[in-house]
Amino acid sequence: MPDKRRAREPQTDVPLVSFAGLTKSFGGAMALKNVSFDIRPGAVHGLVGANGAGKSTAIRVLAGVSRPDSGTITIDGSPVVIANPDDASALGLTFIHQEMSLIPGWDVMRNMALGIQPTTQFGIIDWRPMRERAKKVCVRLGIKFSLSTNVDALSTADQWLVLIGRALMRDARLIAMDEPTASLSAHEATRLHTIIRELAAAGTAVVFVSHRLDEVSALCDDITVLKDGAVTRRFVGEQASKAELIRAIVGRDLEIPDHGRDPGPLGPVVLEASNISDRNILRDVSLTLHAGEILGLGGLVGAGRTEFAKVIYGAARPAAGVISLDGRVVHFRSPADAVNAGLGFVPEERRAEALFLARTVDFNVNVAALDSMTPSRLFPFLNLRLGRHRSQEVADLVHVKAPSVLAVVGSLSGGNQQKVVIARWLLNRPKVLILDEPSRGVDVGARAEVHRVIRDLADQGTAVLVVSSDNEELVALCDRVLVMAEGEVTGELVGRAITEDQIISLSFVRESGKEPAA
Amino acid sequence: MTSVLDGATLTRSAQRSPRRIALIVVSKYGTLIAMAIMIVTFSLGSPRGSFLSANNLLAIVNQSALTAIIACGLTLVLVVGEMDLSIGYNASLAGVLVTGLMASQGVPMIAAIVITLLIGAIVGLFNGFLVTKAGVNAVVATLGVGTILIGMQFGYTAGSPIVLVPPEFKAITLGRIFEVQNSIWIMLLILAVLWVVLNRTPMGQRMQAVGANKHAANLAGVRTDRAKIAAFVMAGTCAAATGILLASLLGSGTVNAGDGYLLDSFAAVFLGAATLRDGEFHIIGTLLGVLVVNVGFNGLSLMGTPTFWQFVFKGGILVLAIALSTVARKYSKV
Repeated sequence: MPDKRRAREPQTDVPLVSFAGLTKSFGGAMALKNVSFDIRPGAVHGLVGANGAGKSTAIRVLAGVSRPDSGTITIDGSPVVIANPDDASALGLTFIHQEMSLIPGWDVMRNMALGIQPTTQFGIIDWRPMRERAKKVCVRLGIKFSLSTNVDALSTADQWLVLIGRALMRDARLIAMDEPTASLSAHEATRLHTIIRELAAAGTAVVFVSHRLDEVSALCDDITVLKDGAVTRRFVGEQASKAELIRAIVGRDLEIPDHGRDPGPLGPVVLEASNISDRNILRDVSLTLHAGEILGLGGLVGAGRTEFAKVIYGAARPAAGVISLDGRVVHFRSPADAVNAGLGFVPEERRAEALFLARTVDFNVNVAALDSMTPSRLFPFLNLRLGRHRSQEVADLVHVKAPSVLAVVGSLSGGNQQKVVIARWLLNRPKVLILDEPSRGVDVGARAEVHRVIRDLADQGTAVLVVSSDNEELVALCDRVLVMAEGEVTGELVGRAITEDQIISLSFVRESGKEPAA
Repeated sequence: MTSVLDGATLTRSAQRSPRRIALIVVSKYGTLIAMAIMIVTFSLGSPRGSFLSANNLLAIVNQSALTAIIACGLTLVLVVGEMDLSIGYNASLAGVLVTGLMASQGVPMIAAIVITLLIGAIVGLFNGFLVTKAGVNAVVATLGVGTILIGMQFGYTAGSPIVLVPPEFKAITLGRIFEVQNSIWIMLLILAVLWVVLNRTPMGQRMQAVGANKHAANLAGVRTDRAKIAAFVMAGTCAAATGILLASLLGSGTVNAGDGYLLDSFAAVFLGAATLRDGEFHIIGTLLGVLVVNVGFNGLSLMGTPTFWQFVFKGGILVLAIALSTVARKYSKV
C-alpha cells in the first residue's frame, strides 16, 4: 500500500494552502505558536499531534471559524483573509467531521446537496442538476446505495462517503477530515484510504487528522506534527515511520510494552454471560471473566461487541441468555442495578454517553457514587468536602491534568476527559469494569496512561473487559481476547497467541466468500 | 474527541473581548442590574416615596411568595430537562379542593391541607409516569393533565366559588410573625427545603445529572426516570401549596384562580437561569426572577402606568429572560 502513492507526483510546486507564522492564543494559553506549513494540491496531508497540540485550532483557522492573532494564510500564492465559514467555502475548502454533520432522517441526496441548492426561476429548488451531479459523485466514490436511502440506515463508513460526496458536490479543492477512521473497522478504513488516494490523484488536497499513526504513515504524502501549538516535524514527500511520528508527538521515545503483563494465575470467575442473544445482532454469545483478568473483545465495528457489553451492563435487554455475577444469576434491569452490583462502564462516546461537559471534574466523578457521599440513607445529605477529597484522590490516581477538580470537564482535552470517566469508577473499585474503545480519540501519551490504569486495576483484582477496534491495543493490553463477527464469538486467543493477524482473520471468519481485510 | 468544527466549543474558547465580557455581565447580572435600576427609578418616581417604604417592600415580597413557591417547584422540573404546563391548573384545583373539603365535607383544616398537598403530589406523580414510563412528550402530557384538572375543578364545584371558608384558614396568610407575613415565612421554608434537596442530596445531584446529560446519567448508574418523577412530584406539591395559600388569601376557592401562575413561573424560572449562573436553572435565581417581575409590576402600578403597559412588561420580561439565559449559556462557558 505505501508504495502506490510513490508512483504519482503532485502536479505543481505552488502550494494550495500555505500557513506562515500563524499564532493564536486563548486567554493566556498559546494554541498555535508561529505555525508554518504548506498543503500541496494533490497530496494527502497528515496532521498529527496529541490532543490539545493545536491540530484543531489550525483547521479552525482554515475553516474561518477562528481568527489567528497573527500570521498569514496564502492560497494559490496570494494571501487571503478567511473571516467566516462562507469565505472558506467560497475558496473551495471543505471540512468533514463525523459528529453533527449529517442531518439524521434525511436521505443521501438531500444531505449531499445541503447548502448548495440552486433554484428555478420561481425560487423552487431545482433538484434535477443536483441529482445528475450527485450521481456522478456516487460513481466516483463507488457508492452503491441509492440516493434516496435514509442516512440513518447507513453504516458509519457509508456515512463518511456521503460527507465526502457533499464536499465533491461543492467542487472542493481541499477536504479536511477529522479522525475519519476512528469508528471504522480495519476493512472499512482501507476502503476509505483508497478513496482518499483517488481524490488526491485527481488533484484534491486532503488534510487528514488521525491518531492512528500506522495509517497516517502509510497514507499521507506529507505529515505535519504539532506539539503544544508548535510544529515539531514536517515530513514532505518522505516516509515517516511510526516511531518517528511518536517521537515528534511526545517529544521523547515512548515505550510501548510488547505484551501487557504477567497476569499470574487466574482468579475466580467473577462474571459469566451464557448464550446471550438479542433481537438484533447477538446470537448465543458467551464469555467468562475472571478476577484480575483483562479480557479483550475484538472484531469489526458492527460485530455486536458494544451491544454485548451493554447487555452485560444492563443498558440493553437480552432476548435470551443468563448472566451471573459471583456465581449468582443476575437480572440487571438498568445500569443502576449493574452499578449497585459492582459493575462499571466506560462508554464509547465519552462526550455523548459519559460526561457532563458543563460540570466540574468533581461532579463528573462523584455522580456514580452519590449515596456513599452521605452519612447514611436516613440522613441523605451530601458531604461535599468528602466528595471533593475523594474526587481529587482518584483524579490524581489516573493523572488527570486539570487546574483543580473544580475545573469544568468540557475545558479538558480528550485524553483527560477519558481519564475522568475512568476515575469515576475507581471510587468504589468495581468488581467488573467494562471499557468500550478506551483510547479512542486519545493521544499516545494519554493512551499509555489509560493502559497503565487498566493494568493497575486488574492487578488489584478487578475483572476488566476491553472492547476495542484497535487491534494493536488488544495485543498490548489483554491477557485473553475474544473475537466477534456478525453477532457471534468466532474465536478466543490467549497470551502469546494474541496477534493483530489472528484477530483480523477471526474478525472476518464468517465472510469467507468476500475479500479479506488486509 | 477533537471535534474540530464543533461550533459550540469554538464559541466557548473564543477570546474574551470587551464585547464578550459585556455580554457575560449582562447575561449573568442583567437581572440584578435591572432590579437595581427599577428600584432607583421607582423610588424617585413613585408619589411620596411610597415605593421604598418598608410596608410596600414587604408587600412586594409577600406578593412574590406564592409565585416563588410554585416557580421553584417548576425549577426542579426544568432542571431535569422536562416541562410542566399543569402547575397553574394544579394550583387552581388545590384552591378549590382545600376550601371545598373544609366547607362541604367538613374536613378539619389541617387534614384538608394535607390531603390537598397529597393530591398535588399525585398529579405530579401522574405527570412523571406519563413522561418517563409512557414516553409522552412533557409539553403534551402536562398540558393534557392540566386540562383534565380544569375539568375536575368544574366537576367538584359546579363552577361556583366556594366562599364558606373558616376564618382560621384565612388567618394563615393574614397573620404575621415578627412583622413579616406568614406567606413569606412559608416561602422561605419551602425554598430552603428545595435548595437543600437540589444542592445537598444525592437525589438533587441526580436531577442535575439527568438534566445535563440524560444518556450519560443513565450509563453512570443514575435511575433517570426516578429523578424525573421526583421532580414532577415536588413541582406538583409546590403548586398545591401555592394554590392553598392563594385560597387563603382570596378567602375563597375559585375555579381557574391559579392558572395565571403558569406564565409568571416560567418568566421567573428563565429569568433566574440567567441570573448569577450560566443559563442553569437554580432556586435562588428563580426567587430573584420572581422578585424582579413583582418589583416591576408594583412600581409600574404605583407610578400610575396604564394597565396595558404592565402586561407588555410582563410578556416582554418573559421573552427577554429566555433570550438572556440562552445568551448566558452560550457565552459564559470557559
